[in-house]
Amino acid sequence: MITHVESPILEIHDLTVSYDQSPVLWNVDLSLPAGKLIGILGPNGAGKSTLIKAVMGLVPVTGGYVKIFDRELNDVRSRISYVPQRESVDWNFPASVLDVVMMGTYGKLGLFRRPGKKEKQIAMDCLDKVGMQSFVDRQISELSGGQQQRVFIARALAQEADLYLMDEPFAGVDMATETAIFQLLQEMTAAGKTVIVVHHDIHSAMNYFDWIIMLNLHLVASGPKTEVVTEDLLRKTYGGKLNLLTKVSDIIRQKDFNPLKS
Amino acid sequence: MTGDAISHAVLPGIVIGFFVSGSQRGLEVIIGAGLLGILATLIINWLKNKAKVQLDASIGITFTLLFAIGIILINMLAYKVDLDQECVLYGEIAYLPIDLWITNAGFSMGPRIMYLAVLNLVLVIGFIILLYKELTLTSFDENFGLVIGLPAGAINLALMSMVSYTTVSSFEAVGAILVVALLVVPPATAFLWTKKLTSLIKLTCALGIFISIAGYYMAYLVDSSIAGMMVAVGGVIFLGSALYKSIKPNSLFGTSTPSKPLEI
Repeated sequence: MITHVESPILEIHDLTVSYDQSPVLWNVDLSLPAGKLIGILGPNGAGKSTLIKAVMGLVPVTGGYVKIFDRELNDVRSRISYVPQRESVDWNFPASVLDVVMMGTYGKLGLFRRPGKKEKQIAMDCLDKVGMQSFVDRQISELSGGQQQRVFIARALAQEADLYLMDEPFAGVDMATETAIFQLLQEMTAAGKTVIVVHHDIHSAMNYFDWIIMLNLHLVASGPKTEVVTEDLLRKTYGGKLNLLTKVSDIIRQKDFNPLKS
Repeated sequence: MTGDAISHAVLPGIVIGFFVSGSQRGLEVIIGAGLLGILATLIINWLKNKAKVQLDASIGITFTLLFAIGIILINMLAYKVDLDQECVLYGEIAYLPIDLWITNAGFSMGPRIMYLAVLNLVLVIGFIILLYKELTLTSFDENFGLVIGLPAGAINLALMSMVSYTTVSSFEAVGAILVVALLVVPPATAFLWTKKLTSLIKLTCALGIFISIAGYYMAYLVDSSIAGMMVAVGGVIFLGSALYKSIKPNSLFGTSTPSKPLEI
Protein backbone atom coordinates (compact mmCIF):
# COMPACT_ATOMS: atom_id res chain seq x y z
CA MET A 1 0.00 0.00 0.00
CA ILE A 2 1.86 3.02 -1.23
CA THR A 3 0.21 6.41 -1.15
CA HIS A 4 1.67 9.06 -3.41
CA VAL A 5 1.12 12.77 -2.84
CA GLU A 6 0.87 15.85 -5.01
CA SER A 7 3.89 18.23 -4.92
CA PRO A 8 5.92 16.09 -2.48
CA ILE A 9 8.69 17.50 -0.28
CA LEU A 10 10.72 14.36 -0.90
CA GLU A 11 10.35 12.17 -3.95
CA ILE A 12 12.24 8.90 -4.24
CA HIS A 13 11.96 7.34 -7.67
CA ASP A 14 12.81 3.67 -8.27
CA LEU A 15 15.78 3.83 -5.91
CA THR A 16 18.12 0.83 -5.76
CA VAL A 17 21.19 0.78 -3.52
CA SER A 18 23.71 -2.05 -3.32
CA TYR A 19 26.77 -2.75 -1.21
CA ASP A 20 29.31 -4.99 -2.96
CA GLN A 21 26.93 -6.14 -5.71
CA SER A 22 24.20 -7.28 -3.32
CA PRO A 23 21.24 -4.88 -3.29
CA VAL A 24 20.11 -3.66 0.13
CA LEU A 25 17.25 -1.55 -1.23
CA TRP A 26 15.15 -2.59 -4.19
CA ASN A 27 13.12 -0.21 -6.36
CA VAL A 28 11.94 2.05 -3.57
CA ASP A 29 9.42 4.45 -5.00
CA LEU A 30 7.65 6.89 -2.72
CA SER A 31 6.69 10.51 -2.22
CA LEU A 32 6.22 12.30 1.08
CA PRO A 33 4.02 15.24 2.08
CA ALA A 34 5.38 18.38 3.77
CA GLY A 35 4.76 19.27 7.41
CA LYS A 36 4.41 15.73 8.69
CA LEU A 37 6.19 13.61 11.28
CA ILE A 38 7.21 10.57 9.26
CA GLY A 39 8.49 7.29 10.67
CA ILE A 40 10.52 4.64 8.86
CA LEU A 41 9.86 1.19 10.33
CA GLY A 42 11.34 -2.18 9.52
CA PRO A 43 13.39 -5.03 10.99
CA ASN A 44 17.17 -4.93 11.38
CA GLY A 45 18.96 -4.93 8.07
CA ALA A 46 15.87 -3.73 6.21
CA GLY A 47 17.76 -0.79 4.73
CA LYS A 48 16.23 1.97 6.86
CA SER A 49 19.53 3.78 7.50
CA THR A 50 20.62 3.12 3.94
CA LEU A 51 17.49 4.85 2.65
CA ILE A 52 18.32 7.99 4.66
CA LYS A 53 21.98 7.87 3.65
CA ALA A 54 20.99 7.52 0.01
CA VAL A 55 18.75 10.59 0.32
CA MET A 56 21.69 12.52 1.86
CA GLY A 57 24.06 11.32 -0.87
CA LEU A 58 26.27 9.43 1.57
CA VAL A 59 26.02 6.08 -0.23
CA PRO A 60 26.27 5.61 -4.00
CA VAL A 61 22.97 4.90 -5.69
CA THR A 62 22.79 2.05 -8.21
CA GLY A 63 19.58 3.14 -9.84
CA GLY A 64 16.79 5.69 -9.59
CA TYR A 65 16.94 9.24 -8.22
CA VAL A 66 15.96 11.39 -5.26
CA LYS A 67 14.39 14.82 -5.49
CA ILE A 68 14.04 17.10 -2.49
CA PHE A 69 11.81 20.18 -2.69
CA ASP A 70 11.54 19.10 -6.36
CA ARG A 71 15.25 19.86 -6.85
CA GLU A 72 18.65 18.15 -6.77
CA LEU A 73 20.24 17.50 -3.37
CA ASN A 74 23.18 19.87 -3.99
CA ASP A 75 20.86 22.84 -4.61
CA VAL A 76 19.02 22.46 -1.32
CA ARG A 77 21.63 21.23 1.17
CA SER A 78 21.17 24.23 3.44
CA ARG A 79 17.48 23.33 3.84
CA ILE A 80 18.11 19.75 4.96
CA SER A 81 19.33 18.61 8.32
CA TYR A 82 20.71 15.24 9.29
CA VAL A 83 21.14 13.33 12.54
CA PRO A 84 23.52 10.40 11.99
CA GLN A 85 23.60 7.32 14.20
CA ARG A 86 25.36 8.03 17.45
CA GLU A 87 27.95 5.26 16.89
CA SER A 88 29.11 6.84 13.64
CA VAL A 89 31.56 9.20 15.38
CA ASP A 90 34.33 8.96 17.96
CA TRP A 91 32.96 10.54 21.15
CA ASN A 92 36.48 10.79 22.59
CA PHE A 93 37.11 13.64 20.19
CA PRO A 94 38.32 16.73 22.06
CA ALA A 95 35.28 19.00 21.71
CA SER A 96 32.70 20.54 24.03
CA VAL A 97 28.93 20.20 23.73
CA LEU A 98 28.75 23.79 22.47
CA ASP A 99 31.43 23.10 19.81
CA VAL A 100 29.44 20.18 18.42
CA VAL A 101 26.11 22.02 18.36
CA MET A 102 27.74 25.03 16.69
CA MET A 103 28.79 22.69 13.86
CA GLY A 104 25.14 22.78 12.80
CA THR A 105 25.57 26.43 11.82
CA TYR A 106 28.71 25.86 9.71
CA GLY A 107 26.77 24.99 6.56
CA LYS A 108 25.16 28.43 6.41
CA LEU A 109 28.42 30.15 7.45
CA GLY A 110 30.37 28.73 4.54
CA LEU A 111 34.12 28.31 4.19
CA PHE A 112 36.65 30.35 6.19
CA ARG A 113 34.12 32.41 8.18
CA ARG A 114 34.32 31.97 11.94
CA PRO A 115 31.17 31.40 14.01
CA GLY A 116 30.31 34.47 16.10
CA LYS A 117 27.76 35.64 18.68
CA LYS A 118 24.76 34.92 16.47
CA GLU A 119 25.82 31.30 15.89
CA LYS A 120 26.49 30.83 19.58
CA GLN A 121 23.01 32.13 20.39
CA ILE A 122 21.44 29.68 17.92
CA ALA A 123 23.39 26.82 19.47
CA MET A 124 22.33 27.84 23.00
CA ASP A 125 18.67 28.00 21.96
CA CYS A 126 18.87 24.55 20.41
CA LEU A 127 20.53 23.10 23.51
CA ASP A 128 17.73 24.66 25.52
CA LYS A 129 15.14 22.90 23.35
CA VAL A 130 16.61 19.46 24.04
CA GLY A 131 17.12 20.25 27.74
CA MET A 132 20.91 20.24 27.61
CA GLN A 133 21.62 23.90 28.38
CA SER A 134 23.40 23.07 31.62
CA PHE A 135 25.91 20.91 29.70
CA VAL A 136 27.19 23.66 27.40
CA ASP A 137 30.83 23.44 28.47
CA ARG A 138 30.92 19.71 29.14
CA GLN A 139 33.36 17.72 26.99
CA ILE A 140 31.49 15.27 24.75
CA SER A 141 33.53 12.34 26.07
CA GLU A 142 31.84 12.89 29.44
CA LEU A 143 28.26 12.45 28.22
CA SER A 144 25.96 9.45 28.57
CA GLY A 145 24.53 7.82 25.44
CA GLY A 146 21.19 9.60 25.72
CA GLN A 147 22.92 12.95 26.24
CA GLN A 148 25.11 12.37 23.18
CA GLN A 149 21.95 11.69 21.20
CA ARG A 150 20.40 14.94 22.41
CA VAL A 151 23.56 16.86 21.43
CA PHE A 152 23.22 15.44 17.91
CA ILE A 153 19.56 16.48 17.77
CA ALA A 154 20.50 19.98 18.95
CA ARG A 155 23.15 20.16 16.24
CA ALA A 156 20.52 19.24 13.64
CA LEU A 157 18.16 21.91 15.03
CA ALA A 158 20.96 24.48 14.75
CA GLN A 159 20.97 23.90 10.99
CA GLU A 160 17.57 25.66 10.92
CA ALA A 161 16.42 23.49 8.03
CA ASP A 162 13.00 22.67 6.58
CA LEU A 163 13.52 18.92 6.27
CA TYR A 164 15.05 16.81 9.05
CA LEU A 165 16.33 13.26 8.56
CA MET A 166 17.09 11.42 11.78
CA ASP A 167 18.75 8.01 11.94
CA GLU A 168 17.59 6.23 15.10
CA PRO A 169 17.62 9.33 17.33
CA PHE A 170 15.96 7.37 20.15
CA ALA A 171 18.53 4.58 20.45
CA GLY A 172 19.68 4.56 24.07
CA VAL A 173 17.34 7.37 25.12
CA ASP A 174 15.13 6.89 28.17
CA MET A 175 11.32 7.13 27.98
CA ALA A 176 11.05 10.61 29.52
CA THR A 177 13.55 12.05 27.07
CA GLU A 178 11.94 10.21 24.18
CA THR A 179 8.57 11.72 25.00
CA ALA A 180 10.10 15.19 25.35
CA ILE A 181 11.88 14.91 22.02
CA PHE A 182 8.78 13.57 20.26
CA GLN A 183 6.86 16.58 21.59
CA LEU A 184 9.60 18.84 20.23
CA LEU A 185 9.36 17.11 16.84
CA GLN A 186 5.58 17.52 16.85
CA GLU A 187 5.98 21.24 17.55
CA MET A 188 8.37 21.45 14.63
CA THR A 189 5.98 19.73 12.23
CA ALA A 190 3.18 21.97 13.46
CA ALA A 191 5.41 24.89 12.44
CA GLY A 192 5.60 23.46 8.91
CA LYS A 193 8.86 21.51 9.11
CA THR A 194 9.05 17.92 7.86
CA VAL A 195 10.74 15.35 10.08
CA ILE A 196 11.66 11.84 8.94
CA VAL A 197 12.75 9.47 11.70
CA VAL A 198 14.16 5.93 11.52
CA HIS A 199 12.52 4.24 14.46
CA HIS A 200 12.50 0.85 16.13
CA ASP A 201 9.63 0.82 18.57
CA ILE A 202 6.27 0.13 16.92
CA HIS A 203 4.37 1.18 20.07
CA SER A 204 5.65 4.75 20.20
CA ALA A 205 5.57 4.93 16.41
CA MET A 206 1.82 4.34 16.61
CA ASN A 207 1.49 7.18 19.07
CA TYR A 208 3.51 9.88 17.45
CA PHE A 209 3.93 9.55 13.70
CA ASP A 210 1.50 11.00 11.14
CA TRP A 211 2.87 9.04 8.21
CA ILE A 212 4.61 5.68 8.24
CA ILE A 213 7.00 4.06 5.80
CA MET A 214 7.45 0.30 6.17
CA LEU A 215 10.58 -1.12 4.69
CA ASN A 216 12.08 -4.56 4.28
CA LEU A 217 14.55 -4.31 1.39
CA HIS A 218 11.50 -3.52 -0.70
CA LEU A 219 9.07 -0.78 0.16
CA VAL A 220 6.14 -2.46 1.88
CA ALA A 221 4.00 0.55 2.63
CA SER A 222 4.05 4.33 2.72
CA GLY A 223 1.04 6.30 3.77
CA PRO A 224 -0.95 7.94 6.58
CA LYS A 225 -0.64 6.00 9.81
CA THR A 226 -4.30 5.00 10.01
CA GLU A 227 -4.19 3.45 6.55
CA VAL A 228 -0.91 1.53 6.64
CA VAL A 229 -0.76 0.04 10.11
CA THR A 230 -2.62 -3.19 9.41
CA GLU A 231 -1.81 -6.71 10.47
CA ASP A 232 -1.21 -7.74 6.89
CA LEU A 233 1.34 -5.01 6.17
CA LEU A 234 3.12 -5.42 9.51
CA ARG A 235 3.39 -9.13 8.80
CA LYS A 236 4.85 -8.37 5.39
CA THR A 237 7.38 -5.98 6.91
CA TYR A 238 8.52 -8.08 9.81
CA GLY A 239 8.21 -11.43 8.06
CA GLY A 240 7.45 -14.71 9.75
CA LYS A 241 9.03 -13.88 13.08
CA LEU A 242 6.49 -15.53 15.37
CA ASN A 243 7.50 -13.73 18.52
CA LEU A 244 7.15 -10.44 16.77
CA LEU A 245 3.87 -11.43 15.19
CA THR A 246 2.19 -11.90 18.53
CA LYS A 247 3.57 -8.51 19.50
CA VAL A 248 2.17 -7.10 16.30
CA SER A 249 -1.30 -8.44 16.96
CA ASP A 250 -1.05 -6.87 20.43
CA ILE A 251 -0.42 -3.60 18.74
CA ILE A 252 -3.30 -4.06 16.36
CA ARG A 253 -5.53 -4.67 19.34
CA GLN A 254 -4.14 -1.58 21.02
CA LYS A 255 -4.75 0.37 17.89
CA ASP A 256 -8.48 0.03 18.43
CA PHE A 257 -8.04 1.79 21.75
CA ASN A 258 -5.72 4.37 20.32
CA PRO A 259 -6.85 7.73 21.72
CA LEU A 260 -5.27 9.61 18.79
CA LYS A 261 -7.55 7.80 16.35
CA SER A 262 -10.74 9.07 17.99
CA MET B 1 49.94 6.75 12.14
CA THR B 2 49.52 8.59 8.85
CA GLY B 3 52.59 10.66 9.74
CA ASP B 4 54.60 7.51 10.24
CA ALA B 5 53.39 6.13 6.94
CA ILE B 6 54.10 9.32 5.04
CA SER B 7 57.58 9.75 6.48
CA HIS B 8 58.54 6.33 5.15
CA ALA B 9 56.53 6.50 1.95
CA VAL B 10 58.29 9.64 0.71
CA LEU B 11 61.60 7.80 0.23
CA PRO B 12 61.08 7.01 -3.49
CA GLY B 13 60.12 10.64 -4.04
CA ILE B 14 63.39 11.73 -2.44
CA VAL B 15 65.40 9.35 -4.60
CA ILE B 16 63.65 10.45 -7.78
CA GLY B 17 63.99 14.09 -6.79
CA PHE B 18 67.66 13.47 -6.15
CA PHE B 19 68.12 12.14 -9.66
CA VAL B 20 66.22 14.95 -11.27
CA SER B 21 68.15 17.64 -9.44
CA GLY B 22 71.45 15.85 -8.95
CA SER B 23 71.73 17.03 -5.38
CA GLN B 24 70.38 16.08 -2.00
CA ARG B 25 69.34 19.62 -1.25
CA GLY B 26 67.35 20.60 -4.30
CA LEU B 27 63.81 21.88 -4.40
CA GLU B 28 63.02 18.85 -6.58
CA VAL B 29 63.70 16.56 -3.63
CA ILE B 30 61.10 18.31 -1.51
CA ILE B 31 58.59 18.42 -4.35
CA GLY B 32 59.18 14.74 -5.14
CA ALA B 33 58.80 13.77 -1.51
CA GLY B 34 55.71 15.95 -1.11
CA LEU B 35 54.05 14.37 -4.13
CA LEU B 36 54.83 10.88 -2.86
CA GLY B 37 53.38 11.83 0.53
CA ILE B 38 50.12 12.90 -1.06
CA LEU B 39 50.15 9.78 -3.26
CA ALA B 40 50.58 7.64 -0.16
CA THR B 41 47.58 9.33 1.47
CA LEU B 42 45.48 8.79 -1.65
CA ILE B 43 46.44 5.10 -1.83
CA ILE B 44 45.62 4.62 1.87
CA ASN B 45 42.21 6.30 1.45
CA TRP B 46 41.48 4.33 -1.69
CA LEU B 47 42.37 1.00 -0.08
CA LYS B 48 40.23 1.84 2.92
CA ASN B 49 37.14 3.19 1.15
CA LYS B 50 37.03 1.38 -2.17
CA ALA B 51 38.84 -1.91 -1.54
CA LYS B 52 37.44 -2.16 2.04
CA VAL B 53 40.83 -2.89 3.59
CA GLN B 54 41.11 -2.04 7.29
CA LEU B 55 42.80 1.28 8.04
CA ASP B 56 45.84 -0.13 9.87
CA ALA B 57 46.38 -2.74 7.16
CA SER B 58 46.10 -0.21 4.35
CA ILE B 59 48.58 2.13 6.10
CA GLY B 60 50.99 -0.74 6.72
CA ILE B 61 50.83 -2.03 3.16
CA THR B 62 51.16 1.39 1.55
CA PHE B 63 54.14 2.69 3.45
CA THR B 64 56.14 -0.54 3.46
CA LEU B 65 55.58 -0.94 -0.28
CA LEU B 66 56.63 2.63 -1.09
CA PHE B 67 59.57 2.48 1.32
CA ALA B 68 60.70 -0.77 -0.28
CA ILE B 69 60.49 0.80 -3.73
CA GLY B 70 62.62 3.66 -2.39
CA ILE B 71 65.28 1.27 -1.08
CA ILE B 72 65.33 -0.65 -4.36
CA LEU B 73 65.79 2.64 -6.24
CA ILE B 74 68.66 3.64 -3.94
CA ASN B 75 70.40 0.31 -4.38
CA MET B 76 69.92 0.29 -8.13
CA LEU B 77 70.85 3.85 -8.90
CA ALA B 78 72.54 5.52 -6.02
CA TYR B 79 74.77 3.05 -4.26
CA LYS B 80 77.84 5.16 -4.96
CA VAL B 81 76.57 8.45 -3.62
CA ASP B 82 75.87 9.71 -0.16
CA LEU B 83 72.16 8.93 0.08
CA ASP B 84 71.56 5.97 2.32
CA GLN B 85 68.69 4.69 4.38
CA GLU B 86 70.51 5.52 7.59
CA CYS B 87 70.73 9.20 6.78
CA VAL B 88 67.11 9.29 5.66
CA LEU B 89 65.85 7.35 8.66
CA TYR B 90 67.83 8.91 11.45
CA GLY B 91 68.98 12.25 10.05
CA GLU B 92 71.49 14.13 12.10
CA ILE B 93 70.45 17.26 13.81
CA ALA B 94 74.03 18.07 14.86
CA TYR B 95 75.06 18.69 11.25
CA LEU B 96 72.57 21.51 10.82
CA PRO B 97 75.02 24.34 11.64
CA ILE B 98 77.32 23.11 8.86
CA ASP B 99 74.56 23.11 6.27
CA LEU B 100 74.40 26.86 5.72
CA TRP B 101 72.54 28.91 3.19
CA ILE B 102 75.20 31.01 1.53
CA THR B 103 74.03 33.72 -0.83
CA ASN B 104 75.71 34.33 -4.17
CA ALA B 105 77.62 37.20 -2.60
CA GLY B 106 79.10 34.75 -0.13
CA PHE B 107 77.14 36.04 2.84
CA SER B 108 76.00 33.36 5.27
CA MET B 109 72.30 33.45 6.13
CA GLY B 110 72.44 30.77 8.82
CA PRO B 111 71.31 27.15 8.66
CA ARG B 112 69.43 26.49 5.42
CA ILE B 113 66.91 24.14 6.96
CA MET B 114 65.85 26.75 9.48
CA TYR B 115 64.24 28.74 6.64
CA LEU B 116 62.37 25.66 5.47
CA ALA B 117 61.16 25.09 9.01
CA VAL B 118 60.06 28.73 9.44
CA LEU B 119 58.17 28.62 6.15
CA ASN B 120 56.57 25.38 7.28
CA LEU B 121 55.56 26.91 10.62
CA VAL B 122 53.96 29.93 8.92
CA LEU B 123 52.06 27.72 6.47
CA VAL B 124 50.77 25.38 9.18
CA ILE B 125 49.67 28.23 11.47
CA GLY B 126 47.94 29.94 8.54
CA PHE B 127 46.26 26.71 7.55
CA ILE B 128 44.93 26.05 11.03
CA ILE B 129 43.70 29.61 11.60
CA LEU B 130 41.99 29.74 8.21
CA LEU B 131 40.30 26.33 8.37
CA TYR B 132 39.96 25.74 12.12
CA LYS B 133 36.21 25.09 12.10
CA GLU B 134 36.30 22.99 8.92
CA LEU B 135 39.18 20.87 10.22
CA THR B 136 37.43 20.28 13.54
CA LEU B 137 34.19 19.33 11.85
CA THR B 138 35.64 16.94 9.28
CA SER B 139 37.90 15.26 11.85
CA PHE B 140 34.96 14.72 14.19
CA ASP B 141 32.25 13.77 11.74
CA GLU B 142 33.23 13.68 8.08
CA ASN B 143 29.78 12.60 6.87
CA PHE B 144 28.15 15.58 8.54
CA GLY B 145 30.65 17.83 6.78
CA LEU B 146 29.63 16.29 3.46
CA VAL B 147 25.95 16.60 4.28
CA ILE B 148 26.08 20.33 5.00
CA GLY B 149 28.01 20.86 1.79
CA LEU B 150 31.56 21.43 3.02
CA PRO B 151 34.18 19.98 0.66
CA ALA B 152 35.17 17.43 3.29
CA GLY B 153 37.25 15.37 0.88
CA ALA B 154 39.28 18.38 -0.22
CA ILE B 155 39.79 19.52 3.37
CA ASN B 156 41.03 16.07 4.36
CA LEU B 157 43.36 16.02 1.39
CA ALA B 158 44.67 19.47 2.32
CA LEU B 159 45.27 18.28 5.89
CA MET B 160 47.13 15.21 4.67
CA SER B 161 49.16 17.36 2.31
CA MET B 162 50.15 19.61 5.23
CA VAL B 163 51.18 16.56 7.28
CA SER B 164 53.10 15.30 4.28
CA TYR B 165 54.83 18.64 3.71
CA THR B 166 55.66 19.04 7.40
CA THR B 167 57.14 15.56 7.53
CA VAL B 168 59.20 16.07 4.41
CA SER B 169 60.54 19.49 5.33
CA SER B 170 61.54 18.41 8.83
CA PHE B 171 62.92 14.95 8.37
CA GLU B 172 65.82 16.12 6.26
CA ALA B 173 66.97 17.79 9.44
CA VAL B 174 65.97 15.36 12.13
CA GLY B 175 65.32 12.01 10.45
CA ALA B 176 62.15 10.02 10.06
CA ILE B 177 62.12 8.50 13.55
CA LEU B 178 62.27 11.86 15.32
CA VAL B 179 59.66 13.35 12.99
CA VAL B 180 57.27 10.54 13.80
CA ALA B 181 58.04 10.81 17.49
CA LEU B 182 57.38 14.54 17.48
CA LEU B 183 54.20 14.06 15.43
CA VAL B 184 52.77 11.43 17.74
CA VAL B 185 54.17 11.79 21.28
CA PRO B 186 53.23 15.41 22.20
CA PRO B 187 49.56 15.20 21.15
CA ALA B 188 49.18 11.71 22.65
CA THR B 189 50.62 12.97 25.93
CA ALA B 190 48.51 16.13 25.88
CA PHE B 191 45.38 14.06 25.23
CA LEU B 192 45.99 12.27 28.52
CA TRP B 193 45.75 15.60 30.34
CA THR B 194 43.03 17.51 28.55
CA LYS B 195 39.97 16.87 26.41
CA LYS B 196 39.57 20.45 25.25
CA LEU B 197 40.74 21.15 21.71
CA THR B 198 42.30 24.58 22.24
CA SER B 199 44.19 23.53 25.38
CA LEU B 200 45.16 20.32 23.59
CA ILE B 201 46.81 22.30 20.80
CA LYS B 202 48.59 24.65 23.22
CA LEU B 203 49.81 21.83 25.43
CA THR B 204 51.00 19.90 22.38
CA CYS B 205 53.09 22.85 21.17
CA ALA B 206 54.53 23.43 24.64
CA LEU B 207 55.42 19.76 25.03
CA GLY B 208 57.05 19.65 21.60
CA ILE B 209 59.24 22.64 22.42
CA PHE B 210 60.08 21.29 25.86
CA ILE B 211 61.00 17.84 24.50
CA SER B 212 63.31 19.38 21.89
CA ILE B 213 65.13 21.67 24.32
CA ALA B 214 65.39 19.13 27.13
CA GLY B 215 66.46 16.38 24.72
CA TYR B 216 69.10 18.60 23.18
CA TYR B 217 70.74 19.60 26.47
CA MET B 218 70.58 16.12 27.92
CA ALA B 219 72.26 14.75 24.80
CA TYR B 220 74.89 17.50 25.19
CA LEU B 221 75.36 16.51 28.82
CA VAL B 222 75.95 12.81 28.19
CA ASP B 223 77.47 13.38 24.72
CA SER B 224 75.03 11.17 22.84
CA SER B 225 72.62 11.23 19.88
CA ILE B 226 70.44 14.34 19.98
CA ALA B 227 67.53 12.82 18.07
CA GLY B 228 67.65 9.69 20.20
CA MET B 229 67.62 11.72 23.42
CA MET B 230 64.67 13.84 22.25
CA VAL B 231 62.62 10.73 21.50
CA ALA B 232 63.65 9.25 24.84
CA VAL B 233 62.57 12.41 26.73
CA GLY B 234 59.24 12.37 24.89
CA GLY B 235 58.74 8.71 25.64
CA VAL B 236 59.52 9.16 29.33
CA ILE B 237 57.09 12.09 29.63
CA PHE B 238 54.38 10.09 27.90
CA LEU B 239 54.93 6.97 30.01
CA GLY B 240 55.04 9.08 33.17
CA SER B 241 51.73 10.76 32.26
CA ALA B 242 50.10 7.46 31.36
CA LEU B 243 51.29 5.90 34.61
CA TYR B 244 50.07 8.88 36.67
CA LYS B 245 46.72 8.83 34.90
CA SER B 246 46.25 5.11 35.45
CA ILE B 247 46.85 5.59 39.17
CA LYS B 248 44.80 8.79 39.55
CA PRO B 249 42.36 8.74 36.64
CA ASN B 250 40.29 11.69 37.82
CA SER B 251 42.94 14.31 38.48
CA LEU B 252 41.88 17.36 36.55
CA PHE B 253 43.59 19.58 34.08
CA GLY B 254 41.28 21.22 31.59
CA THR B 255 38.40 18.78 31.83
CA SER B 256 35.10 19.64 33.40
CA THR B 257 33.91 16.59 35.28
CA PRO B 258 31.69 17.85 38.07
CA SER B 259 31.98 16.35 41.53
CA LYS B 260 28.22 16.04 41.84
CA PRO B 261 26.37 13.20 40.10
CA LEU B 262 25.24 13.88 36.55
CA GLU B 263 21.74 15.16 35.89
CA ILE B 264 19.68 13.49 33.21
